[in-house]
This record gives sequence, structure tokens and C-alpha cells, in this order.
Amino acid sequence: MKRNGAGSGRGLLAVLLTLGAAVLLAACGSDLGGGGSDEDATTAEATGEVGGELVISQWPFYIDRKTVPEFEKEAGVKVDYIEDVNDNNEIFAKLRPDLQNGESADRSIIVVTDWMAKKMYDLGYLQNVDKDAIPTVNENMIDSLKDPSFDPGREFSVPWQSGMTGLVVNTKEAPDATSIDAIFDPAYKGKVTVLTELRDTVPLIMKSEGINPDDATTQDWLDAIDKLDKAVKSGQIRKLTGNDYTDDLARGDAVVTIGWSGDAVQLQADNPDIEFVMPDSGCILWSDNMVIPVGAPNPDAAYAFMNYVYEPENQAQIAAYNNYITPVKGVQEIFEQDDPKLAESELIFPSNEYTADCSTQTNPPEDGTTEVEEAWQQLLSGG
Amino acid sequence: MKRRRLTPYALMSPGLFWLLIFFAIPMAFMLIVALEEGSIDTGFSLTWQFANFTESVGDFSTQFGRSFKFSIIATILCLLIAYPLAYAIAFKSGRWKNLMLFAVVAPFFTTYLIRTLAWQTILTDSGTIADIARFFAFIPEDGKLLDTDFSVIMGITYNFLPFMVLPIYASLEQLDERLIEAAKDLYSSARSAFVKVTLPLSAPGIIAGTLLTFIPAFGDYVNATFLGGPNQAMIGNVIQDQYLRTQNYPTAAALSFVVMAVILAIVLLYIRFAGSESLMGEDQVP
Repeated sequence: MKRNGAGSGRGLLAVLLTLGAAVLLAACGSDLGGGGSDEDATTAEATGEVGGELVISQWPFYIDRKTVPEFEKEAGVKVDYIEDVNDNNEIFAKLRPDLQNGESADRSIIVVTDWMAKKMYDLGYLQNVDKDAIPTVNENMIDSLKDPSFDPGREFSVPWQSGMTGLVVNTKEAPDATSIDAIFDPAYKGKVTVLTELRDTVPLIMKSEGINPDDATTQDWLDAIDKLDKAVKSGQIRKLTGNDYTDDLARGDAVVTIGWSGDAVQLQADNPDIEFVMPDSGCILWSDNMVIPVGAPNPDAAYAFMNYVYEPENQAQIAAYNNYITPVKGVQEIFEQDDPKLAESELIFPSNEYTADCSTQTNPPEDGTTEVEEAWQQLLSGG
Repeated sequence: MKRRRLTPYALMSPGLFWLLIFFAIPMAFMLIVALEEGSIDTGFSLTWQFANFTESVGDFSTQFGRSFKFSIIATILCLLIAYPLAYAIAFKSGRWKNLMLFAVVAPFFTTYLIRTLAWQTILTDSGTIADIARFFAFIPEDGKLLDTDFSVIMGITYNFLPFMVLPIYASLEQLDERLIEAAKDLYSSARSAFVKVTLPLSAPGIIAGTLLTFIPAFGDYVNATFLGGPNQAMIGNVIQDQYLRTQNYPTAAALSFVVMAVILAIVLLYIRFAGSESLMGEDQVP
């Protein structure tokens, strides 16, 4: 090293030049973000020939082990079923660079929640579905799902399952937790978790205060976030979680949580005291939807899969596993034959009385979205 | 003649190429992003927003402070645990030396993530450790260990301990024991021999170890994610959230740069204070 006194000066220059060149290179390629095309969405046309490979991006614990192999056998399609959707925002961030270039990262079906499906569609990242290619879906979809406000006429989305956001409670430790107020009850201090999904947690808080989420102002959203923030700071709320609130419940570190309806049933296998509790101010209703991204290969296989899971017998197998609200007609009749207990489940077939006070999942007011999301982010990041 | 001058460059070129592709270009890319403004929906454009740096630090100063606190405490704890351990392995372990070294490295056979998740089960509210802590009144009767500052600092300490043990062991191992004998021959007590001979000679290991612990600990987010709640969020968690949840790339990139700059400044100060020679190991007594 010592020998090279002048050389180190040259070395520094070389490093600087390299860095400069790198900056220039990066500047050329740093076109991140930005909306997709403004053109109308294309339709993923079916050709009628089913075969080849099908890649599906899906949430975990949403399908039993038999459905995919059985579909592969029946349709002659090789399925790569990836459970890589843990959070709507995360899968969006992950796939966005590809979608922006009109590519789907090999996926032909992605399953996302209503609001994310709408967001992706508005950005030009999704294709319309070819209605002629999915006769089984058209025939068997339950009527109440056929015309949702985010996608009138179901142009680009096909429901996978619907569900309810409410309380998931360890009924032995917290027998009185029947309202959202339990979250703020000092008796459960440090044993409470809420979901990181803004559109699940905050509207539930607003509903408990008598505010209809559909009419809520930006200030209502911010007030609810503020209320949660205080509870987080004081240690009342232990954590904000994704689907992993189930771990905290199973370990006993949480006894009152905001969670999703089907999960409780899976948890009962280990701890029979864990139950989904409908809050007395009602739940939040949502659907997760199969959507076809731009550039999706092999739409025929995707349509074949959609038709397959909309066959009542096949759907019964899925619903019996995941215990979410099934979007398919005729499943209840099958359960009445095979498993009467499931046929009566309010989680799979919620009655009108059961969901009377529930609201459909909504977004914050349009002009306040950024402000609300920033406040929420501050809360999540422990600011 | 010419050939000889080019040889070092030829030898360095694989490393330089690696650095260029996987460090310099991504860094430059990030720098550009850090100076952009806009949102994920309208697109980002380069407007040389230097305010991104100051604003992002202002918005997340709490988490910066927390990262400092947690990583410094964890580094000190690592040092306090690692030094006696490394000393014991180097001088007192006899034929158990290899086994003990293996024990230090053994946790690496399992992934970082699994080891951290395992602590969730160990520290759980209804677990034995929490019961013991309550019995001795370290925590109140309704208190908890998991999802507290304690659990996050403990997780960082646990996960980075080997990075402290190994460099200290390496420098103690090289130590010529005749120097300690000589000190004792000169009527030095065991204590002053340690303070005047052993400790200074192991300084390179201590410095390397503290750097190897502090630098990753400062930017760590895994421990805070799994062993902490929102009140334990560190700057690494903020950066992750800004990238993956809000997709506010400029803020995330600016924060990453600030973290790097802070670490670099601390390291430079530290080396200057502690002496770069001892880091490079050039003042080893022959």
C-alpha cells in the first residue's frame, strides 16, 4: 500500500468516475411508478383450447390439498399454485414493476381484495374476463355478488371467497368481548391485536362509534386512527398484524383480536376456545377476487380453473376447508347431504340477520385518501 | 513494465466489477430515487428534492432514536458477554476449544428468521421465562417480555453475538502468552497485566466486533418485526414499510441513504477515536 502513494489518488478518481457513470446509468432506468395506460382494458380472449401451464397467486390457507391436483387431472393443465399473497399492498408492490411493463410475471390468476382489484384495474393492470368462457361461473355465482359497486357487472373480477372482518376471541380468557369496545377495555391490556389492513380495522372502530363507514368523513377516519394510536402508545394494543394474529392467539399472547371469519375455524383445531365473534356494531364484508393481469399467459387455463371452482361439488370441498363465505350456489344443498353442521355455519352461509349490521368494505373519502393513509402508516411504523 | 502495472488492476477487476454491478449502480439508482417526488399513482419524476432527506428524518426521528438506543445497548451487551467468552475459549478451554468455537457458530446452521421466531415461543406471556421474571418481580404481575424493548434488544444481542465473539477470539488467540508472563515477571498483578497487556492487544478484535455488531444491528428490522410491537419499530421497519406498503420510494430511498451516512459517520468517528491502526492490526507487537 505504501509504495502506491500517487496511485491511491488515481484510484479515488477511478472510483468517482465509476460512481458518476453509475449515476448516469441509473438515471436512464429510474422510471418507477406512474400509472398504466389510459386506454380501455383489453379482454383476455379465450381460444377454447385448454392445456399447458397455469400460475396462480393466492393467499395462504385458502384451498384444501385435493382441489388443485384434481383439477390438473381433469383439465390436463399443470398448475403452479403460489401462496404469495399475504397483504394486498405487498403483492401489489411485488408485481407492479412487471405489470407496468404489461407483463404478469407468468401469473394468469391473482387473488386480491375488492379495493385492490379496483385499484389495479384503474391503473390498467388487469384485463376484462371473457364472459363467454366462464359459463359455470355465470350460472352458479350467488346473485348478491353479481353487481358489486367496485365492478358493476363483474367485468374484470370473479369472487374467490367472501369473508367478514370482526372479532376473533379466546372466549375462555375474554368471555365478555362481544363489542369493538373490548379492544379498548383495560381488562385486556396488552392482549389485543388489530389488523394492519386500513380498510378492515378503521371502519370497525368507526362503526362502534355509530359512524357509517360509507358516510365517514376524512376527519372520522383520522379520529379513529388517533384513537387506535393512543391505545398503541399506552400499550393497550400489543401489535398490528397481518394474518399472523393467529400465532398470537394460538400462543395466548392475544385474547381479543380483529381478524377474519374463516381463520377462527382453523385455530379451533388447536384451541377450541377461539371463536369468531360478530361485533354488536356489525362486521366488515369483503370479497377476494380472481383477476387476470395484463400479459397473462394461457387465459384458457385460467377460465377452466374458474369454471372448475364454481362447480358446486368442487366448491364444497374448498369451502369446507377454509370456512369463508362461498360465492357459489348449490354448496349449501351439498352440505345438507354430507355435513349438516357446515350447512348451518353462519361463517359459510351467513344469514341476513347475522350480517344485518355489517358494512361492505369502503375506501377513505377520495380527497382524504393520502392523508388517511399517511396517518395510518405513521401508526404502523410506530411514529 | 506495463504488464506489471496492470496486474493489480487485473487481480482486482472481479471484485471491482462485483462492486460496480451490485453496489455502485444500485446506490446511484437509489440516490436518483431519493431525489424524486410524486406518488405511486401519478408516477415519480426527478426534481432534485433534497428536502426528502430532511423531511424523512424529521418524520421518523423517533424510530431513528430507537435504532440508536437498541443497537448501542445490544452492542454493549454483546461485548460484555462476548469478551469473557472469547477469553475463556482462547485461554481456558483446553481440548474443548474446537467444540466451544463450534458452539458459537452452531446457531448459523439454522436461518436467522427461524431462530428469531423461536424466541416468540420462548418469551411468550404464558411461558416459563415470563413466569420466572414475574416471580422475581422483574416485570409486574400483568407484565410481559415479548413485544417490549427488552425482547427486541435481547433478540439483536442474541443474533449478533457470534460476530462479536469471533473477532475477539481471533485477536486473543494470536496473543503471545509470553508477554503476559513477562508482565508478571515484572511484578504486574494479574489485573494490571490484563489491563496493560491483554486488553490493548485484543483491541483490534473488540473494534472489529463492535463494528460487525453495531452496523447490522442499526439497520435491523427482523427482530423488531417479530419480537416487538409498534412501539419498538426501528428505522429498518420504516424503510421496509415505505417500500412495500406505502410505496413511497423517494422517502424510503432517502431514509436508506441517511442510515448509511449515519453509520458511516459513526464508524469513521469511532475508528478515528479508537485508532485505525488497531483496526488494521498494524500495531501488533512483533
